[in-house]
Amino acid sequence: MSLPEFDFHAPGTVEEACRMVAGFGAKAKIFAGGTDLMLDMRRNRISPEHVISIPGIEELKTLEIASGMLTIGACVTVARVVKSKEIAAKWGALCAGAKALGSCLVRNLATIGGNVVSARPAADIPPSLMAYGASLVLKKTSGERVVSINDFFTGTGSTAMGPDEILTRILVPEPPPHSGAGYVNLGIRNACDINILNVSSYIALDGPGGAIKDARIVMGCVAPTHVRVNSAEKLLIGEKPTDALFQRAGEAALNAATPRGSAYSRASAEYKKDMVKELTVRTLAMAYREAMGR
Amino acid sequence: MGEISMGKFDVINSRAVRVDASDKVRGRALYVDDMKMAGMLYGALLQSPLAHAEILNIDTTAAQRLPGVKSIITHKDAGLVKFGVSPARYDETIFCHDKVRHVGDNIAAVAATDLDTALRAVSLIKVDYRELPAVFTVEEAMAEGAPVLHAAFPRNITAEVQDEFGDVEAAFKQCDLIKTTSLVNKRQDAAFIEPQGCIASYDFSGNLTLYSSTQSPHYIQRVVSMVLGIPMGKVRVVKPYVGGGFGPKAATNHMELAACLLSMKTGKPVKMNFDRQQVFMHGRSRHQFFHHMTTGVKKDGTIMALKHDCYLNGGAYASFGIATVYYAGSLLGGPYKLPAMKYHGYRVYTNLPACGAQRGHGGVIARGCWEQQLDMIAQELGIDPIEMRLRNMMSAGDVTCNYLDMSSLGMKECVEAVRDRSGWKEKKGNLPPGKGIGMSCGFFVSGAGYPIYRSDTFHGTVIIKLTEDGGTALVYTASAEIGQGSDTTFAMIAAEAMGIPLECVRLESGDTDFGVDLGAYSSRQTLMTGLATKEAGEDIKRQVLEVLSEELHVPVEDMDIKKGFIVFKGEKPDITALRTRYIKEHRGWSDNPAMDEELSFREASRMAFLSRGSIVGKGKYKPPILGGQHKGAAVGTSPAYGCSAQVVELSVDEGTGKINIEKMTDAHDCGLAINRTSVEGQMYGSLSMGLGEALFEEVKFDDKGRVINDDLAEYKITRALDMPAIEPIIVESNEPNGPFGAKEVGEGAIMPAIPAILNAVADAIGVRIFELPLKPERVYMAIKEYKMKKEKEKGIEGKTLAGSSQKQA
Repeated sequence: MSLPEFDFHAPGTVEEACRMVAGFGAKAKIFAGGTDLMLDMRRNRISPEHVISIPGIEELKTLEIASGMLTIGACVTVARVVKSKEIAAKWGALCAGAKALGSCLVRNLATIGGNVVSARPAADIPPSLMAYGASLVLKKTSGERVVSINDFFTGTGSTAMGPDEILTRILVPEPPPHSGAGYVNLGIRNACDINILNVSSYIALDGPGGAIKDARIVMGCVAPTHVRVNSAEKLLIGEKPTDALFQRAGEAALNAATPRGSAYSRASAEYKKDMVKELTVRTLAMAYREAMGR
Repeated sequence: MGEISMGKFDVINSRAVRVDASDKVRGRALYVDDMKMAGMLYGALLQSPLAHAEILNIDTTAAQRLPGVKSIITHKDAGLVKFGVSPARYDETIFCHDKVRHVGDNIAAVAATDLDTALRAVSLIKVDYRELPAVFTVEEAMAEGAPVLHAAFPRNITAEVQDEFGDVEAAFKQCDLIKTTSLVNKRQDAAFIEPQGCIASYDFSGNLTLYSSTQSPHYIQRVVSMVLGIPMGKVRVVKPYVGGGFGPKAATNHMELAACLLSMKTGKPVKMNFDRQQVFMHGRSRHQFFHHMTTGVKKDGTIMALKHDCYLNGGAYASFGIATVYYAGSLLGGPYKLPAMKYHGYRVYTNLPACGAQRGHGGVIARGCWEQQLDMIAQELGIDPIEMRLRNMMSAGDVTCNYLDMSSLGMKECVEAVRDRSGWKEKKGNLPPGKGIGMSCGFFVSGAGYPIYRSDTFHGTVIIKLTEDGGTALVYTASAEIGQGSDTTFAMIAAEAMGIPLECVRLESGDTDFGVDLGAYSSRQTLMTGLATKEAGEDIKRQVLEVLSEELHVPVEDMDIKKGFIVFKGEKPDITALRTRYIKEHRGWSDNPAMDEELSFREASRMAFLSRGSIVGKGKYKPPILGGQHKGAAVGTSPAYGCSAQVVELSVDEGTGKINIEKMTDAHDCGLAINRTSVEGQMYGSLSMGLGEALFEEVKFDDKGRVINDDLAEYKITRALDMPAIEPIIVESNEPNGPFGAKEVGEGAIMPAIPAILNAVADAIGVRIFELPLKPERVYMAIKEYKMKKEKEKGIEGKTLAGSSQKQA
């Protein structure tokens, strides 16, 4: 299939990009890594009149850690996140998600911002960002706002971002002492797969060997968006971490999951629910191990 | 066994660097999409969006008006000459005229100045359809009153096969254990990296040249000639480098014919390509098989009889399907001694893209079903599965109950090699839960006994011509290098037969102007093209030595050519006169031989040219009459059979059902290995493909017959990170019917892969699975059901046997 016709724009600054987005509205699509956009355009799923390419904007490629905050520019490639030793040390679950995304060639092009705004429930980056309590900086000509990633996804492929806004940065707070996180994705093969299911869990302990004071569990592929499992989180808070507790949290996650499991899904609803439990237990155990060592 | 000593040969039985390696690695090798011609147009196909519909009207007027459109063709231009694979089932036309039978069925084609215009024109062609009820499954297709795809085939049965060898029912009466199991796979896609593509060029003298990504230039030439009514002598099919075939490219496709017709209409070259979606819509890969088998054995494991039923979901056209349904039965005749076998197979039309041949044609899933069943039987009898297989093994010279002659068979050696190298004896029965080890055997043809069309034709002809300066041999063969390394194999065989180094051979292949060759399918080329190449090489050697004999007065039988030099068995004759003549011919050249050097092939072949003109060696091959006299006896016959054994070690994550293949130990008897590196390459490729079929691959359709995973993101083939450690072991028997003792490796090596994995999974989790692929969900559900069943049994036992001791599980 060949690409439909479109006008190509390459703004040099965020301000210029914002003006274009505001001007073209729904007729434009933003090109960051292009790994999803080009496929959708080639297969005629979408045919935007304007394509606004933003990887040339330096500001969007910032990757820095300062005063307890990881800032990831929207156009930072997934490969850069994989390579960062600091991210691997402090935000291991994010690193795991980045490693799980596509193949080496895809990771060299795909951006962290793209993986978030495309809002696919099977995406590898959002679960850990939600688990770490990240927020997103959205900018338009009249100014910028910061939204929690928890409130960002509104449906498959749709977000709280306005048609005149672009995502510029992702802010991920540094996990406190005695906290940890885990990410596990399940596919059919070992690489370059599309997830059947993915889960990320985060817990913070009230001191070494203490009770759980904060917990976030995020599951993907079971609803139109990634979802937090509030029931399981509530059940964990105030309790001492044990295998039995994690099993109960897994059970709660299973009950909270509402996968469709149609004939054309990648897996049945029954399997997905069982896997929600299994992966919740596994990621909690990973989070606990990390929390004990930090 | 072991009779072939290394060093007996100068060129073959070594590890040669492939003749195409450098060009391929550096990006110089030309594939059809790399080619451009002056004035070339681009073509595109209009394909049906519906699975089954009557065509009421085709309106091309809007498309005709689009600037840049040069020609639009439909059935009105193409005619209705039927073609296909087997003449007994020619059931396709270039374009549909009365109805479409699957999503992707071909309706029209456009040639335009560029691809975008051609595609836009296609979208402007208006077709009125009346939708017809469609059938997608075997059950739907064979049901009473079901819609019929082809009027001549009631109940949608493309072919029905009934065979019985020996007396199965009588044999069952003597059995101690009779076991029935089944296996079903999913439709495959061969997933070659290069989609089909072609350029057709019709010149003003009425000659048609078709460049195509094909496995068989010869079959394409025949069908193009037949369908378009052009004499075969005016049709030339050329195969550039090809990025894989695996079966689906062994037959003519509609795009090739449409491109030819468009070129004839426009007088310009026309290029056409399938995109990946069209590869899936064209199909022709492995069928979905429903196998149901009953095997009877004696207490000591002796196999007595096999009763086998099979249904194939074939899609909308016959393609290779008749051969497939025969192979599905006949390839169980070996490698075990099986006195009685009964087979009932149906190949069924459905409103899906046609299925055809794919690596291990027809036999792969049958092998999977049976080898898992044999494992279960061994388990029930308390015999080690390898021991049971060895007890039943055929050996060289045995003939199966369906008349397949195992003229060489290193099967026992293969089994022993994988047993010993994998550490089977230590591991089997001693692995922790979740880890498993399994094994299987298999065998396959080295080329079919007959062409796919009924004919006495030679299966391969080869011509070798020496260059007039002497020293270089040009080998011309119409065989198909499709990535498997056949060009290197034949260059090596030619060099060995002539007695010259590999560097002195230049080989051109894949062009119908070079001769007849049935192409790269049914693992035929090494043996068949190889024998023709060897004969041509020997013909060259004889002619050169004849001239030398006249010049030097030494009898031909007292001379030989080895490593590029003339070897005299007796006293060395005086070559001064001859050499002086040669040097005079090459005055001013810096590489003339010194007087005391050995007489070279280069000098001898120059003398031969001066004496006789062009020195041309000819070779040909066709198999002798093979096999039995029953209907369908032709399918499964071969001049030789390759065989293999495999041990798979894996672990299963019981929490998710995910399988991790840890190691595959594979032994293959390929007769004498011509190029050891290429033999191992084929083994790796077969294992990778078998692993993918076992664990990941399935073409999925929606309820309208549309492929829903028509790309390589959602149709999952094995990737590098899924490949386990592999230990390939080459076992070399000496095949009397092959060139220098060689036979197949290309397809046979896939035979044991799926059952070895099935058996290892059962060893790991304690439960058998009878449906492929073994994706995590299927494995997890099997474990879950098994555990629930055990819990339930425990519960019942707890109630009924309360107080009494627990029965052994």
